[in-house]
Amino acid sequence: MSDENKQNIDFSMVLASAVHDMKNSLGMLLNSLDELRTEYQDSLGTSKRFNTLHYEAERMHNDLVQLLGIYRLGENNLSAHIDEHFVPDFLNEHLARHTPLLEGLGIQYQVASEDISGFFDEDLLTGVLNNTINNAIRYTRTLIRLTAREEDGYLVIGVEDDGQGYPESMQHSGTLSFKSLDFKSGSTSLGLFFASSVAKLHTEGDRTGFIRLRNGGSLGGGVFEIWLP
Amino acid sequence: MTDSSQTAGTNLFAKLSFLVVDDFENFRLSMRQMLRSCGADRIELVAHATPAIQYCTYNHVDVVLCDYNLGEGKNGQHVLEELRHKKLLKRSSLFLMVTAETSKEMVMGAREYQPDSYLTKPINRAMLEKRLGALLLQRSALLPIYRELDRENLPEAITLCLQMLPKQPRYKTWLMKTLGDLYFQLGDLSHALKTYDDVLAQREISWARLGRCRVLLANHQYDEAVEGLKLLIEKHPDYMEAYDLLAEGLEKQGKPARAQKVLEQAARHSPNALLRQRHLAELAGANQDMDTAYQAWKQTVILGTYSIHDSSRHYLALAQTLTDLSDDPDNDTASDRADEALEVLGRMEKRFAEEPELKLRGDLVRCRVHAGQGRMNEASQLLEQLKPALGEADNLQPEMGLEYARTLFRLGQGAEAKVLLGNLAERFASDPAILQKIENLLDEPVGFRQKLKARALNRDGIQAFESGDLTGAAEAFRQALAIVPDHAALNLNLVQVLVKEYEHQPQRREHLQECQRLLQRLANLPEQHRQHRRYKALLRKIEGLTS
Repeated sequence: MSDENKQNIDFSMVLASAVHDMKNSLGMLLNSLDELRTEYQDSLGTSKRFNTLHYEAERMHNDLVQLLGIYRLGENNLSAHIDEHFVPDFLNEHLARHTPLLEGLGIQYQVASEDISGFFDEDLLTGVLNNTINNAIRYTRTLIRLTAREEDGYLVIGVEDDGQGYPESMQHSGTLSFKSLDFKSGSTSLGLFFASSVAKLHTEGDRTGFIRLRNGGSLGGGVFEIWLP
Repeated sequence: MTDSSQTAGTNLFAKLSFLVVDDFENFRLSMRQMLRSCGADRIELVAHATPAIQYCTYNHVDVVLCDYNLGEGKNGQHVLEELRHKKLLKRSSLFLMVTAETSKEMVMGAREYQPDSYLTKPINRAMLEKRLGALLLQRSALLPIYRELDRENLPEAITLCLQMLPKQPRYKTWLMKTLGDLYFQLGDLSHALKTYDDVLAQREISWARLGRCRVLLANHQYDEAVEGLKLLIEKHPDYMEAYDLLAEGLEKQGKPARAQKVLEQAARHSPNALLRQRHLAELAGANQDMDTAYQAWKQTVILGTYSIHDSSRHYLALAQTLTDLSDDPDNDTASDRADEALEVLGRMEKRFAEEPELKLRGDLVRCRVHAGQGRMNEASQLLEQLKPALGEADNLQPEMGLEYARTLFRLGQGAEAKVLLGNLAERFASDPAILQKIENLLDEPVGFRQKLKARALNRDGIQAFESGDLTGAAEAFRQALAIVPDHAALNLNLVQVLVKEYEHQPQRREHLQECQRLLQRLANLPEQHRQHRRYKALLRKIEGLTS
């Protein structure tokens, strides 16, 4: 290994620990925002500026969580610890994190899940869901729906909205490579790359997880799906 | 939007007592606010570990919500360990670790006690209600099992788990995990194995794979266990418990050097588990890798500061390792190591002032430190002062006796040391662990570098013998014996080589004379020594050849 390479590794570690710090700071900030919202429900609850503040802080927090995940992925230090979970409970618990903001923005939310258990790594899926819900909050008009079903031997967890849907270029299914990250356009698809990586960490026999983006669904907007074997 | 858990959850919250531990006042207050709005009424707030433990000592708590990071002093894991270890918190009470971490790093790092669940910051009311509500529902469903666990009635707990499995599919993971563990604790290995196999038949699940390997190890199926653990680590390089278990398996296979490598790897990933550092230190010490042993003991001592696993034994082992390192003319940091050894002993005596024998043990180590630094007068004077306090050999406890013998050897009083060890071997004839230590000391009462050299020469000798080079073998064993003349196995190895040479060339009577001299050295070999039967057999053989 060359010296130049070593330098790189050190730098990414510095970055990772800085990101870790920032993530924890944002966690505190989000906590304060939640408290403010509870305390000043009447004046702040539906304030557009306050909700933007909350939304953007959530988005940054998510990005940083994903960044750390991707860092550990690169260090070959991230693996899926798959366990059996009751899916409706899981979805309800994770939607709960977003309900204050959803209510503040006047967006309705639903969980439509079969009463099924599924096999997945809870921590990794949490990261994916948080990000996807956040994304849906940005693009939906009035409604967000979390879905779960079994199809072809896969557990399919979906996030649907009633917005404009994904642009043509983004609709696809399969796995994303690191190269697909485009730092020039406004959206880096970091979240999709992370989701795709998490899906790939879920394997069973010769089957591997993947993500699928399409338009339509029950609400007619964007549909994000993660298929887990 | 289904809200069934909310109504059920509210009732559950109201009946229970909560303890919130967080060093930030804001967090404590907001957590109380959130719990209240979920329907909780009995909520105690504390800022640090000590008052948390104190509160649990005198009050019944159903749910502890403890932040991992509590500033200076004990952290959340220490609190958990102390509460569970001292049984200050019932099994039926939940311990929830609150962290800002989103990965399993800490789950995977801990070895003994794990929280019932993790709550990841930031936490808001809706989330807390859902998450905690679900956990409380689970707790009340499983309460009969928790009660039997608190009564330590494991068979009854197993029966209840089995009854509940078909009725509570939602808690299947918990039930199967608990079942496997309970069967294992009871020593019912075949049922434990079956439990894990049932889980694995459905899906490759890492905890079940680990459990299965643990059962295989207990069942002496070392090869299969080691294979399974290697595969598990390949798939999950972040699963620390698998490393710990793999190291145990490799040790059982008689591969201590590889076991050490595995633990070193695990300690790099996750350096804060005291028990893992201690295991590494012990292994490295046995492998005579004193530098690694030193680092690991040092880490063990540091991690002990706030841990219930802290022990004077760790300080003593650190001081002994430093003493070995300091007694080495090739080492230019030798005198620093000597000073550090003395400093560690001083700290130990202060920290464990209530252990009466400790000062004596420490002083025996001090004698060796002085001797290693060439202060022979100081060393002998101190030892003479200690002798009355040490008393009759018949009354010495094994650890103290071994320490004493080690010091006697170092101060050139080998004859006295051998008598002492003979006495110990007789009194503890039924304890293989102590006998092993006695043998090691009798065989190799020298510094670690010499030990390593002698061991390498012994290996060379065996290799030469196996390839038929008798002269080379004899030469290697002779060189090794020049370093450790009393080493039983080595002496017998050389006797065996010489007998074989004599059988090829009967004119060389001098070989037999050398054998007699070698066996003479072992005349006082304790009967309990593992080489004793081999010694007797070769003695008879030589007597037959020389008569």
